Amino acid sequence: MGKLTSFKRSLWVFHASGGSCNACDIEIVALLTPRYDVERFGIRLAGSPRHADVLLVTGAIPRDFADKLRRIYEQMPDPKAVVVVGSCGTTGGVFYDSYNIAGPIDEIIPVDVYVPGCPPRPEAIIDGVVKAWLKIERLEKELEGKTGGDGE
Amino acid sequence: MNFTLHTPSGYWNPLLWVAFLVLFAVVGYIIYSRGNPAHKTGEQAKPYLSGNEEPDVEEIRVRASDIYWGFLEALKGYYRVLIAMHTGDLRDYIYWYIGVGTVIILIFLGGL
Repeated sequence: MGKLTSFKRSLWVFHASGGSCNACDIEIVALLTPRYDVERFGIRLAGSPRHADVLLVTGAIPRDFADKLRRIYEQMPDPKAVVVVGSCGTTGGVFYDSYNIAGPIDEIIPVDVYVPGCPPRPEAIIDGVVKAWLKIERLEKELEGKTGGDGE
Repeated sequence: MNFTLHTPSGYWNPLLWVAFLVLFAVVGYIIYSRGNPAHKTGEQAKPYLSGNEEPDVEEIRVRASDIYWGFLEALKGYYRVLIAMHTGDLRDYIYWYIGVGTVIILIFLGGL
């Protein structure tokens, strides 16, 4: 595990649910319960992608949602990372050949971390988010070098 | 001509004030012209509307005339007649002018 040095604020996460059956979404909600309580690490769900560092995406993405997901990703400020939660988002899952599915999420937006499982356990999701955190750490340093400031 | 105003707590000179204003504007412009490499335009600068495309402002913005919506709704019977009378035809307005003027003159002549 790397050491966090340049990303000096809480990690805000935006959750976009595509064609999920809600099992992955419930596991994400479980992260906020007293049992896992990710907010003690400064990780919290944000209400808008404009305030988020990490995009959590669940479910295979229906065609109607693909352009919305692309827009949500583009609206996030830099540096940003994308975590796919669950088998459906990773590969299409049981919906892989459905007429209504735009494809796995990495065919729509760039994905940094895959958390497979149906649904994955909350510990796995936390691990995925922390891996994304390390990527953001690296991007933050690059951004600092570009702006010569704190990258805000 | 001396523009300086002396007061017990200091002095005030408009020429000096303008000189500083110009100086600050130049410094501000130099900082502004350097730009911000991290500044984004396009989708990243647009509002989040649940992933939906931002509609045209004409469709979503509250217009100044919307302030009067309550009046228009409450008095719509009156406005319906009034708007129908406003045909935009100048001859109609002249007919009204002559007609109302005739009624007023008749009232005055009748001594009412």
